[in-house]
Amino acid sequence: MKRTLLGLGAALAALGAALGVWQIQVGVAQADRGDRPRFSVDPFWPKPLPNLWLMGQVAGVAVDRQDHIWIIQRPLTLTDDEAGAESRYPLTGAATRTTPLSNCCKAAPSVMEFDRSGKLLRAWGGPADPGFLTSRCVAPSCEWPTNEHGIYVDHNDYVYIGGNGGPDHQVIKFTRDGTFIMQIGKSGAFTGGRSNNTNGDPHGRPLLGNPADTEVDPVTNELYIADGYQNRRVLVVDAATGLYKRHWGAYGQNPVDDTTITPYNPAVRDPNFRNPVHCVRIADDGLVYVCDRVNNRYQVFTKSGHFVSEVLYERDSLGNGAVWDIELSPDKRQRHLYNADGDNNVVSIFERRDGVLIGTFGRNGRYAGQFHWVHNLAVDSKGNIYTAEVDTGKRAQKFMPNESDHD
Amino acid sequence: MFFAVAPAFAHDIPGEMRVHAFVKPEGQRLRIAVRVPLELLLNLNLPKRGPGYLDLPAVEESIPKAIAATAKEMLFFEDGRRLELTRSEGRISPPADRSFESFERALALVRGPRLAASTDVFWNQGYFDAYLEYPIASPQAGFAVDFHIAPGLRDRLKFDLRFLPAAGGVRAFEIPTAIGRVALDPRWHQAAASFVKSGFRHILDGLDHLLFLLCLVIPFRRIGWTLVAVVTSFTVAHSITLIAAAYGIVPRGAWFPPLVEVLIAASIIYMALENVLRPNLRWRWLVTALFGLVHGFGFSFMLQNQLQFVGDHLLLSLLAFNVGIELGQLLFIVLALPVLALLFNTARLSERLITAVISAFVAHTAWHWLVERWDTLAKVEWPAIDPATLALSLVLAVALGVLAWVLLGRPAVLRRRNAVARVEPH
Repeated sequence: MKRTLLGLGAALAALGAALGVWQIQVGVAQADRGDRPRFSVDPFWPKPLPNLWLMGQVAGVAVDRQDHIWIIQRPLTLTDDEAGAESRYPLTGAATRTTPLSNCCKAAPSVMEFDRSGKLLRAWGGPADPGFLTSRCVAPSCEWPTNEHGIYVDHNDYVYIGGNGGPDHQVIKFTRDGTFIMQIGKSGAFTGGRSNNTNGDPHGRPLLGNPADTEVDPVTNELYIADGYQNRRVLVVDAATGLYKRHWGAYGQNPVDDTTITPYNPAVRDPNFRNPVHCVRIADDGLVYVCDRVNNRYQVFTKSGHFVSEVLYERDSLGNGAVWDIELSPDKRQRHLYNADGDNNVVSIFERRDGVLIGTFGRNGRYAGQFHWVHNLAVDSKGNIYTAEVDTGKRAQKFMPNESDHD
Repeated sequence: MFFAVAPAFAHDIPGEMRVHAFVKPEGQRLRIAVRVPLELLLNLNLPKRGPGYLDLPAVEESIPKAIAATAKEMLFFEDGRRLELTRSEGRISPPADRSFESFERALALVRGPRLAASTDVFWNQGYFDAYLEYPIASPQAGFAVDFHIAPGLRDRLKFDLRFLPAAGGVRAFEIPTAIGRVALDPRWHQAAASFVKSGFRHILDGLDHLLFLLCLVIPFRRIGWTLVAVVTSFTVAHSITLIAAAYGIVPRGAWFPPLVEVLIAASIIYMALENVLRPNLRWRWLVTALFGLVHGFGFSFMLQNQLQFVGDHLLLSLLAFNVGIELGQLLFIVLALPVLALLFNTARLSERLITAVISAFVAHTAWHWLVERWDTLAKVEWPAIDPATLALSLVLAVALGVLAWVLLGRPAVLRRRNAVARVEPH
C-alpha cells in the first residue's frame, strides 16, 4: 500500500511539474510571437516530374483562380549534361551532339501547371514541346520568345507570357490548354527603347520592349504589362483586343528613353524607371505596384497611373537590384506585401499600408528554403508562397505559412 | 452520350472537374441550378468563331440540347419515384463568373441577360449554367439524385451539390460520378442501412484490420468467453475513437493519418510476435483494447467521405457503421475459426508450430506495410516544435503511464496482500 501511494505521489508530482513547464513554455511562446508572418519550405513540392523532365531557369510563377500553380521555365537553359538524356543538344540550332549522354534528363515544355500538392497537371509550349512551334504557335502570328519571362493566368483562365531575349518584344496570350489566342507586339521589331509607342505592331497594338511581367485587372479586363527590359514604362492594353489604353513611367510621368543612363546611385532618387521594369501587381483596393528593380524600390500608382507613393529598399544593393517581383497576402485587406529580392536572395515582407519592412525569409544558398536569384513569387488563397529561381537556381519552391505564428 | 472528355494534346492530364448544383424543394416543385464546365460538353460541338471562342448567338440554338444532355445524366427522385423535367432554361457563362456562390445569385444569373455576342468565351474555358424545375408532391418528401455524367471519369469528376431542405439549412455533398442513387435527406432507416452496408464493405476491404483480427483469434480454438471479451474490447475501443473522430475530436495535422497507419501495422506485428513467443490470453483483451483505439482512427479515415450522407442521423449512422464493421468481423471469425480448427486437428505438427508459421506470414506482410507506411510518415511535415503541444503530450504520456501502472500494477499488489492475508491466521 505504501508503495502504491509512493508511486501515485511520484506520478502526480511529475504531472504537476509537466503542467508547470507547459505553462511557462506557453507564456514564453506568446511573449515571443511577433506580428510578422513566418513560413517554412515544403521540400517535397513539386513532386518528381514525369518523362525524365528537368526544369531549366524558372522565370515566372502564377496562381490561377482554382489555386493551381503555373510556372514558365526555360528549357534552352539546361546545360549539356543536365539534358543528358536528350538525343540532341542543344535543342535548337546547330547540334553539338546527336546521341544521349546519360540516363537523365530531358527538357520539359515551358509552361507547367501544378496543383497545390505539387502534382503536375499539364505541360505545354516552347521548343521542348514536340510540334508546338510548328502547329500550335506558328510565326509570324505567334512568336514564342527566345527567353521566356513572366507568366500570368487571368480570371478567365487565359495565360500570358512575356520574354526578355534580344528580339522578344511581344506578349503572347493562350488558353489554359495552350491554344494561341493573340500576340501583342512583334518579335525583333526594334532595338533600344520605344517607351511611348502605342500602335506599332502589325495589328495596331503597341510595340513592347522585352516585357517582363503581366497582370489582368478582372474588373476592367485590362492587361497591365511591366515593359520591361528595354522600355521603361507600365503599359495598359485591352486584354481582349490587345489595343492600347494608357501608359506611364516613374512617378506617373511620361517615360523617357533617351536620357543618359548614369550608374545607379543610392543617394539619388531616379526620376525614371531603370531597366528592367520587372513586375506589376494590382491590389484589391485598386492600387498598382510596380517593381523598379535596379533602382531598389517599388512605386505605387492608381489604376489610371497617378503616383501614390514609393518604398525604398536595400538601397545599397549594387548588383541586379533588390525588387524583382511583388505579391500580396490573401487576407481581405492584403495586409502584407512580399518581394522577391533576387540580389540579396531573400523574400522580404512589408506592411502594405506603410511600406515598413517587417521581416524576410530564406537566404543565399541551394538547399530547400534557400534561394539563388529568386526571380518571381505567387501566393495562393491559403497564403502559401511559390517562388521561382533563374540563373543556376533553376527551380520552383513552395513555402507554407506557419499557422501558429499568424495573428 | 453527350458528355466526354478528350485529352486534347499529348501532355494533357485533365485535372479534377466539378459540376456544381443547388437543389431546393419549394412548394410543389424541386428547383435546381446547375453549373457544368464547358469541357464536359465537348461532344455537343457548340458553334465556334475565331481561334475557338463560342459563337454565342448560334450557341443559343444548342442550349436545349445541352439541357437535355444534363437532365438525362442527372436524375432526381422523390420517395423513389423518378421526377420529370417540366421547365428549364440555360446559358453560357465566362470562367470568372462567381454567381454559383448562392442559389439566389445562380438563379438570377440563369434568368438574367445573356452575354453580349462579342464576349470571348473559349469553348473549354467557361460554364454551361441551367435552371431545371421538376413538379413534386411535397417539399418534405425524401429526395435522391443519381449523377452519372461522364462515368468514365470516376473520382476525377465530382458533383458538388448543396441541398437546401424545406426546413432550412444547407447540406453539402461531394459525390463522385456514377456511384448510384444518393438520398439527399435520408430517413433514419435509410441512413442506418446504408452505413451498415458501408461498414461491412469497408472491413472486408481492410486487409490490415482482418489480419489483426486473425492474429487475435489464432490461439483460440472455439468461441468462448475469453474470445468474446477480446472481440468486444476491440469493438468498444474502436467505436470510441471512430465516434470521437467523426465528431472532430482528433488531431488535424497531416502527420496523424500516416502515424495511425504505421501504428496499425505495428499492432499486427506485435500481435503476431506475441502469438509466436507466448500468447498472453489473460491480458489480451486489454492489449486489444489499446490497439482497438488506434484501429478506430483507421476506420474513421475510411468513413470521412461518407459523413456527407448521414443526413440528420450522425450518431445513428456511426453506430450503424460500427454494426457493419462488427458483422464483417463476425463473418470473418466464423469463417476463420473452423479453418483454423481443421488445420490444428489434421496437421501432424504441434499447435505451437502452426501458430508460429501463420503468425510469421502475417508478421511478414505487416512488416512490409510498416516499412511502406513509415516512408510516408517520414515525409510528412510535423508541426513546428510547439512547447505547448510538447508539454501537453508529456502530460498525456504521464497520465497514460499512471493509468497503466494502476491497472497493471495493482493486481500484483492485490496478490501480495491476499498472500499476506492467507498467511496471517497462522
